[in-house]
Amino acid sequence: MGTIRVRFILVALVVSFFAVGMAAFLNYFKYKSTIGNIVKSRVLVVGRGIENSIQASMQLGMQFSELSQLAQMMQREKSSDRLVRGIDVFDYSGQVIYSTDRARVGQKVAASWTQAAERSKTTEWTTEATDEFVAGISLRNAFDLTVGFLALRYSRDEVELAAAKAGREILLAAIGSFLGIAIVAPLALIIVIRRFEHDLHALEAAATHLEDRTESTLVTTSAFDTSIGHLRASLRDANKSLDDMRAKLDSAG
Amino acid sequence: MMNLLRSLFVLAILALSLAADGDAAAQASTRPYRIYAITFRGMTDIERGFTEYFATRRIPVQITWRDLNRDPARMPGFIDEIRATRPDLVYTWGTSVTLGVVGTWDANDAGKYITDIPVVFTLVAAPVLAKIVPDLKSSRRNVTGVYHVAPTEAQIRAMASYRPFKSIGILYTPTEQNSVVVVDEVREVSRRLGFSVIAKPLKLDANKKVTAEGAPEMIRELKAQKVDWLYLPPDSYLGTQAKGVIIPAAMENRLPTFASTEQLMETGALTGLVSRYHSIGQFTAYKAEQILVQKVAPQKIPIETLTRFSLQVRMDVAEALALPPPLPMFNYAELITAPKPAQ
Amino acid sequence: MLEKNYLWRIYWRLAGVIMVCVVIALAVVSFFSHRVFDRELVPEVEQKAATVANSVRALLLKATSYGVPFDKLYGVEQTFGEVFEENPEFSYAAVTDLDGNLLFARGKEPQGVRDFFRQPAIIAVGLDPTATWTPSHTGQQYFVSMPIASDKPLGMLHIGIDGKFVDNILLEVMLDVVVVLVVSLFFTLELLNFMAGARLASGLGEFAQQVERMRAGDFTATARIRANDEIGRLLRRIDAAIDHLNVRYEFLVGELEDKMRTATGPRREALRPAMNVLENIRSRLRFGSAPKEAEGDEMNLNRIRAPLFAFILAEEMTRSYLPTYVNQLLVPLWGISPQVVIGLPIMLFMLIVALGQPYLGSWSERVGRRRAMLIGASIATVGFAATALAINLYDLLLWRSLCALGYAMVFVAAQGYVLDRTGQQNRAQGFALFIGAIMVATVCGPSIGGILADNIGFRLSFAVSAVMALTSLLAIARLPKVEVRTNTSQRPSRGPRMREILALLVNKRFMTLTGLAAVPAKVILTGVCFYLVPLYIVSIGNTSAMAGRLLMVYAVMMVLIVPLSASLSDASMRRDRYVSVGLIISGLSGLLLLISDSFLVLFGVVFLLGLGQALSIAAQSALVADHCQEEIRIYGHDAVYGVYRLLERLGNALGPLIASILVIFWGYQGAFIAISAMVLVCGIAFTIATRGLDWQPQPAT
Repeated sequence: MGTIRVRFILVALVVSFFAVGMAAFLNYFKYKSTIGNIVKSRVLVVGRGIENSIQASMQLGMQFSELSQLAQMMQREKSSDRLVRGIDVFDYSGQVIYSTDRARVGQKVAASWTQAAERSKTTEWTTEATDEFVAGISLRNAFDLTVGFLALRYSRDEVELAAAKAGREILLAAIGSFLGIAIVAPLALIIVIRRFEHDLHALEAAATHLEDRTESTLVTTSAFDTSIGHLRASLRDANKSLDDMRAKLDSAG
Repeated sequence: MMNLLRSLFVLAILALSLAADGDAAAQASTRPYRIYAITFRGMTDIERGFTEYFATRRIPVQITWRDLNRDPARMPGFIDEIRATRPDLVYTWGTSVTLGVVGTWDANDAGKYITDIPVVFTLVAAPVLAKIVPDLKSSRRNVTGVYHVAPTEAQIRAMASYRPFKSIGILYTPTEQNSVVVVDEVREVSRRLGFSVIAKPLKLDANKKVTAEGAPEMIRELKAQKVDWLYLPPDSYLGTQAKGVIIPAAMENRLPTFASTEQLMETGALTGLVSRYHSIGQFTAYKAEQILVQKVAPQKIPIETLTRFSLQVRMDVAEALALPPPLPMFNYAELITAPKPAQ
Repeated sequence: MLEKNYLWRIYWRLAGVIMVCVVIALAVVSFFSHRVFDRELVPEVEQKAATVANSVRALLLKATSYGVPFDKLYGVEQTFGEVFEENPEFSYAAVTDLDGNLLFARGKEPQGVRDFFRQPAIIAVGLDPTATWTPSHTGQQYFVSMPIASDKPLGMLHIGIDGKFVDNILLEVMLDVVVVLVVSLFFTLELLNFMAGARLASGLGEFAQQVERMRAGDFTATARIRANDEIGRLLRRIDAAIDHLNVRYEFLVGELEDKMRTATGPRREALRPAMNVLENIRSRLRFGSAPKEAEGDEMNLNRIRAPLFAFILAEEMTRSYLPTYVNQLLVPLWGISPQVVIGLPIMLFMLIVALGQPYLGSWSERVGRRRAMLIGASIATVGFAATALAINLYDLLLWRSLCALGYAMVFVAAQGYVLDRTGQQNRAQGFALFIGAIMVATVCGPSIGGILADNIGFRLSFAVSAVMALTSLLAIARLPKVEVRTNTSQRPSRGPRMREILALLVNKRFMTLTGLAAVPAKVILTGVCFYLVPLYIVSIGNTSAMAGRLLMVYAVMMVLIVPLSASLSDASMRRDRYVSVGLIISGLSGLLLLISDSFLVLFGVVFLLGLGQALSIAAQSALVADHCQEEIRIYGHDAVYGVYRLLERLGNALGPLIASILVIFWGYQGAFIAISAMVLVCGIAFTIATRGLDWQPQPAT
């Protein structure tokens, strides 16, 4: 009786594996993006404070390249949040003008940074370096010309460790409920399958008794009753004809 | 595979950037662009912004500075000099200098004005009204430029963000078309945004000349009519009377004042939305760059103003009126504590 | 057929049970996720609230440093409002004085918060010059409190975090989970059919056939190998019974013949009645061995469904995010608007499919269907993988062309496979199976693709498509190697000739149907579903997953309505009405955007579009036979349908182009409205053009 039952249960397992897997996947990524966004927006709050002061200085007619107080302010803001690893201000060509890390001044940032900034439809943009995330703000002047960019580099670990931890727990929950389903689904399915198997049984039982001359003693109420009836009738008819012939032959001696 | 593609990609970028650097170097070695600049009353922050822009963009320019010093008689000499030296671009400051160099769009006789050299004007309050251009989209001639008055609606919104209002009062000079147009615009905005406008023209004396007489009474009447703000339109005569007559009267009636130009702001208004001269100068230089470096025809460059204006607040006035600026404004407004020296 | 319906009833019951189990499992996963979210996110949000509070405090202190008295500050609520706007998880913010009395506040005031602010523990924070910030919570609300002090303490700043913010985040996940449920349901049915059903269905089908055959008196023995399962055993028993009968018959006939040979005269007469009975049996019943039929056709037919589904799924998954991906790789093409460039890969894809199909038909016949599918799926796999690695638009176009070529090959070869294995009587059934696989793929693909793209990025999602195509490759490899040729099947194996295309292009009757109904229907389909929806949804700040959900609505409508409308329009034979109504409904869809530009309206748009298309799509092609009998007589059935399909598919390619040009002029909303209005006009014109026609309905072909 096994094969069909096994196949139906297999379908149930495959589908629940897909559904539970997708749900775990969705929850995990939602968690990751949520925590990523929370951390990013926290970093950008710091960034916007710096941007405000840059804008104020520029409005007073100061040159972008001669904002003397800026480096100091950036240093202060960096130390106020342990998450922030470094803050850079670079011009449209990607050359760093101010940085909390003195060695970076005069160097060029990765091309992906300016590209990310250009692609963004707003003044905010994000990109990733190998071991850190970058959240940035494009600095526009009074006639909407982008004069430079502010970039805050922050640790990947904060986001990734948290995501990994949550991911493990979600995975455990998913495995748990999949195992649960693996136990419950076959039991539940058997109720439906029983009915089906009962029908097949009836059919098979009828088939084993096809050649019995006597009506089957089995009282069946399966979905196949009519078909079996037809089958039986045609076999009976054929046998009767052959019986008839046998009788005629015998009587002929 | 991926790595190989990546490195190929990086190589391509490197090659491109090297080529770009080469271009810049080539450009630096060519002769500087020659600009002939005429100011109206000596050097201002605009000229500083103008020259600094070229410096930061590493565009070599050689600027010949000439000052009209408010004397129209000097203009023909400048025109002759331009014709003789044939600069790459002419820079004109203010409405009268600009009109002196290019004339109006419907009367620009090539014998009298410059037509064959690109002209970039700056600090023209109303280029269409002054007939320098027929339309802000295009001058349809060898001229483009920057105007400096913030759009009326932006000003009204700035006023509302300082303190919401139901009604504003305006004093204006009826003989100044500039002013009349702005008052009409304020009325138009008021219909859309839903507030009332009480505009009072200044009186004319026996010679049909405008006078500040009776202005303090008008301000008192406006206060009695429950206006929330006194709006000061871009009005030359009003500008001359603001410090002595208008502002003191407004202060006496505890009426906050909103300035539409930097000059009016300097006379002691509470707040105003103005264009910083330095930014105007940079924007003018940006337009010049498009003509000189990018070789865009001036008629293809629209006449624009800044997209971001400076909201100035005079803190001593705010304190006297007990109207501190709203908290968010401390983030972006320019807070003036001491009387500012003139630009 | 009783047995087929019976099987479907079983499937639905099984699917129901499986779905209940899945829902319970999903609830469990969601519950645990919620706990994790709650525990892990709250501290992070508190940290962020502290940073935000810090910047608000800096602003407050800046204002007081300009001489504004602390309690006379103006617009503090406004600043709070800006904070809420940027940080929806904050729901309340307040400034109190040193005694905990409320000075400024904004947001929904939590119960008992005023007392909370006066608690000694909270007030102590305000007076402590070294304190940075303190988290605390009352009931559902979390608070971050911070002292405000210049040279002396001034007061306190509190930011309240909505305790329900985690619920809101998970609510967004719920939408996707619902999508997963719907997709699971379709997967279940598809899998039941694939893993158990193909055999069961053919087994039961054979059983039914056997019963019918025996009722008709056919007892010929079939020498078939029966599978070793329940049905197989059953069939073997029947076979055994038949064999038994045959043996008996042979024996009797042998005995009779034996006796007849030796008998003479009266003996012969005595055998007469037996002879008569034999005659009688021979006239009614047939014994012996059955002519060898094409083996297991029905079952082999069913086997095409799984690989086809997997392959189409790979392509469909990209629908909801492809334009957005292209947008990211955009390089300016000189003189072409970026809007049009974004549509280029879709256009190119559709164009290759349209132009390739007629020629690939005969090619796949030559090389063999299975081989053609193998080659096509391999090409597409390479195409997907390379698309995932694309550097910019130029190479992307090349990789997408490979996908298109592969798609066309597999599509045509699979179609051929079905044609080869069906005769006149079961061809419709064969195509229902073919179209069924595609439709289910269109339900599952875009939604899952959108979810993937949002979470793992465009490139990895294309990699998933590549894996999917590879999977289909394995499934195709398991198809029977033997090629079948049924001589009865007429294959449209040649592409339409230029002469025929030109002649039909100027044919008024043909073009009324093609130009006013078929092509506009395709234009709005690809223009709206494949181009406008994904781009518009993302442009208004929504996600690719939302685009996928929208496309799923469309596909579900198709799955639900098409079978219904096909049988209804066949029964009533007024197919033109269905086409008219369908076109007009499609045409009205985009006009909904005149009401509002919310994405919710878009659900209405795709709903109507799906409804309209579903109503007209089945009737449309059948209408060609009704409408253009004269043309079919002149050019032949194949040529007319060939040209019709070609033009229809060119409409597919035209859709993104038209949509993108409309976007340039009128923006996304305008494009939706304009493209719908165009279809509406075509629909009305079609209705008018066909109103007075004399109909000679033909049965569906």
